[in-house]
Amino acid sequence: MSTAKKLSLKENYALLTRGLGWEPSYQPKEEIFRTTRFEGIKIHDWDKWEDPFRLTMDAYWKYQGEKDKKLYAILDAFAQNNGQFNVSDVRYIQALKIFLTGISPLEYASHRGFCILGREFEGVGPRIAAQMQAIDELRHAQTQIHALSPYNRYFEGMSDFTHQADRVWYLSIPKSFFDDALSGGPFEYITAISFAFEYVLTNLVFMPWMSGAAYNGDMSTVSFGFSAQSDEARHMTLGIEVIKFLLEQDPDNVPIVQKWIDKWFWRGYRLLSLLAAMMDYMLPKRVMSWSEAWEVYFEKNGGALFDDLARYGIRMPKYADVTVKEKGHVGHQLWATFYQFRHAVGFPVWLPSEEEMDWLSERYPDTFDKFYRPRLEHWRELEKQGKPFVNTTLPQLCQVCQWPLLFTEPDDPTTICVREESYLGEKFHCCSDGCRDIFRDEPEKYVHAHLPVSQIYQGNYFLPDADPSAPGFNPLVEALRYMGIQPGVDGGDFAGHADAVNWERWTGRPASMHEPMQTAAPAPDRKTA
Amino acid sequence: MSTVAIRADYHGDMKDRVENFHGQQLLGIGWDRHLMYAAPHCIPVPPTLPFGALLSQVLPQLYGGHPDFARIDWAQAQWRKASGERFVPDPAKSVAENGLVHKDVIRFRTPGLDGLYGIGF
Amino acid sequence: MTVEIRTQSIKPVRQTFAHLARRFGDKPSSRYQEATYNLQSEVNRHYKPLWDPDRDIYDRRRTAVVMADWYALKDPRNHYYATWTAARSKAQEALDTQMQFAEQRGLLRELPEAARDAIVFALVPLRHYEWGANTNGCHISAYAWGTAVSQAASMATMDRLGMAQHLSRIGLLADGNSGESLARAKQAWMAHPAWQGVRREVETMFVTRDWFELLVAQALVADALVYALFYGHFDRAFARQHGPALAALLDFLVKWQDETARWVDACVKTAAAESAENRALITGWVMRWRAAWLTALRPLADATMGADGAAALDAVDAALGQRLAKLGIAG
Repeated sequence: MSTAKKLSLKENYALLTRGLGWEPSYQPKEEIFRTTRFEGIKIHDWDKWEDPFRLTMDAYWKYQGEKDKKLYAILDAFAQNNGQFNVSDVRYIQALKIFLTGISPLEYASHRGFCILGREFEGVGPRIAAQMQAIDELRHAQTQIHALSPYNRYFEGMSDFTHQADRVWYLSIPKSFFDDALSGGPFEYITAISFAFEYVLTNLVFMPWMSGAAYNGDMSTVSFGFSAQSDEARHMTLGIEVIKFLLEQDPDNVPIVQKWIDKWFWRGYRLLSLLAAMMDYMLPKRVMSWSEAWEVYFEKNGGALFDDLARYGIRMPKYADVTVKEKGHVGHQLWATFYQFRHAVGFPVWLPSEEEMDWLSERYPDTFDKFYRPRLEHWRELEKQGKPFVNTTLPQLCQVCQWPLLFTEPDDPTTICVREESYLGEKFHCCSDGCRDIFRDEPEKYVHAHLPVSQIYQGNYFLPDADPSAPGFNPLVEALRYMGIQPGVDGGDFAGHADAVNWERWTGRPASMHEPMQTAAPAPDRKTA
Repeated sequence: MSTVAIRADYHGDMKDRVENFHGQQLLGIGWDRHLMYAAPHCIPVPPTLPFGALLSQVLPQLYGGHPDFARIDWAQAQWRKASGERFVPDPAKSVAENGLVHKDVIRFRTPGLDGLYGIGF
Repeated sequence: MTVEIRTQSIKPVRQTFAHLARRFGDKPSSRYQEATYNLQSEVNRHYKPLWDPDRDIYDRRRTAVVMADWYALKDPRNHYYATWTAARSKAQEALDTQMQFAEQRGLLRELPEAARDAIVFALVPLRHYEWGANTNGCHISAYAWGTAVSQAASMATMDRLGMAQHLSRIGLLADGNSGESLARAKQAWMAHPAWQGVRREVETMFVTRDWFELLVAQALVADALVYALFYGHFDRAFARQHGPALAALLDFLVKWQDETARWVDACVKTAAAESAENRALITGWVMRWRAAWLTALRPLADATMGADGAAALDAVDAALGQRLAKLGIAG
């Protein structure tokens, strides 16, 4: 009887995968793969691609199946045991609303983006890697929704997340980020998402959310996080493999890739400012400050990475120095923005307690007490006087990242940074040199942006049943309805909010662990169970 | 610089052209060193609105909540456009007659009134 | 008598997400529903794709089929990621046992040369057919409108890779891991006259842009004919001559196709029933691709099944006809 030759893992994988593709002869190759040439990236040999992970489908199904069995057992137990009431306090759950409306839709968008790459790339290896990431992202979108589903049954502002993702003004920040990637060509997309987002910046997204969940007793979300770790590890290896592949294929690729690294580092950084607010202001039990996170995960790790890429001719991204200057400011500026616009957002907003401000002083010794404590104390005093500060006028948005122009000059935190560009006779404004450079490079693309503030003023943000002639017609209230935000219910002050009132009634614990129980009875128009 | 796309004639639609605003134009206004307001405001105004009416009727709605506002002497206010170019408004003239075009962003500074706590709040 | 557990129950404020309540009322939703409906963004696009400036990133116009609600094409299997991986890993476990047994006992390796040659010529090249199907499934997942169809296509795409790898393993079982079977199979795929019709049709699908047409061409017509021909007729003919060793290893593919066909049929039937225009469109596609595939498969049926080839092809075509009739397609 004969015996079969023993194959190494690498040999086995190569045999099962590498030879699957072929050179077409009945149709022109340029008609089969139509989008891999226009970006100017030169690929001479797709077979030089090194598979970052060698997972055959049987192994994929096995490992992922096992993980999902465990995860869903936990999710079922969580739902059965009302795990949503075990978190530190109901302010933590406000962060979950940002997650469900702002992050989960991006997981789905990422899935679609990798589906496109899985088709449009030419080599077998890169296509399989893209397809596996595509299906992983689908997993993340779905498991996140399933993990957060129990919260939706009890708390406001999560229920209409799909509708909100497409319409809420501040959600155009994450949405435009991914639309920008999806509308780019395949090589830009993979540089943007696999490298800049999944490799350089991923820990800044993943770690705060998942650690925040662990610290605050959210077994559902933290289980999702643990379960997604090995997927993310694969995604990171893809990111670093991609960048090396592109840079090694042709020296002409280097300046194009550098341009994309600059752009996507900056867009990714602006998107992550959302996390600065979350980490510094929203987690009842804080993990670390944004400033610390940026130091560890970008300045140290990123520094080492770009030292390594220097041999290809790649340098540190433009404006990395600005991110370092901003790290002591960004979270505070953002929370101040959410606070004053709290009646127009999908979650309630609060001012930090004394204890929390002391934490912020300690973590931000150079900036908090000087620039931000006075503001918060001023607003707290106005609240005590029954004259809480609100801003009822819509802000100017950045044409590129779509944040309000709330960021300050890198060297002067008392002056708002505004950059103006002209294009085809019209003016456009950006929040920073970083966004301005992005606009300058592709103005034809960014003029098409759907800026929510402009859309409101154009009268486009009304549901079909909005009647301007009706008495008491309020255009901003109607705009909130269009966006899927329940006016007077979802946002506003944390004190007296339906979530706070319900939480205290259901759990017997304070809505904010840093404050005493709220004693205010619910207002008649609040939704309570 | 021209956007690199699959076709040379790639272009987006300018969604915020003035024709879309029902006879109004967008104006951005920022009060320097008053960071109580997180960002410059964006408001629609008729091009015919007298600049003086902007100051006396519109700005109080935007900024009336700040202790400095009631003490502003408009004759002392310094204006510039977002480009940095100095802007000297004539209150008797309209927004358009003052040379403000759709989507212009203007900033004003009120010397001596530099916000609260010495930090431009 | 049952055992009771008392738990603290707090009445929820709502039973489900708003978009699901709008469709189905405020009652508990299934995990499939939560995982599927409305996840794909639909309005307010920010940028035109650099790679397709005449369309949006997500665009209904990428197919000529028109649906009032693309979520009517929901998956009858209710597959979301977790149930899909569970189903596949279960099937794979059963298959692994068969593969291990075949390897240890040299069931394919020890076959007479003519039998091994038949496997390498008739079946192993289908690993390239599967890679083609992966390409086409990926096109559908990339460009379809709505989560329901796109995600099912995405899972089917990974399935095809799994099938391709499985057929490769069958080759390695036959050649004792030398890889020679794969090289010969590729040679047949690229150059043997009997295979060229099939390869030509696969490459024609690669330049077919309408994703629904591709669903019809690949997942309905081609797969129905190819799977029944090779994993049905060829397999049975082979077993009559050489014993059942191969059949045990092909069952995985057959069961997978049966499961997937439920999804394909639901999509085609629902879309065809929506309007006379859809029905006409789909019927036209079916007729065109059915004719093309029959022409392409004829020499291959002859080459792999000899005198029985023509009858086998007629039989699988007749079965396809019956299936189409159930879908309301007179193709």
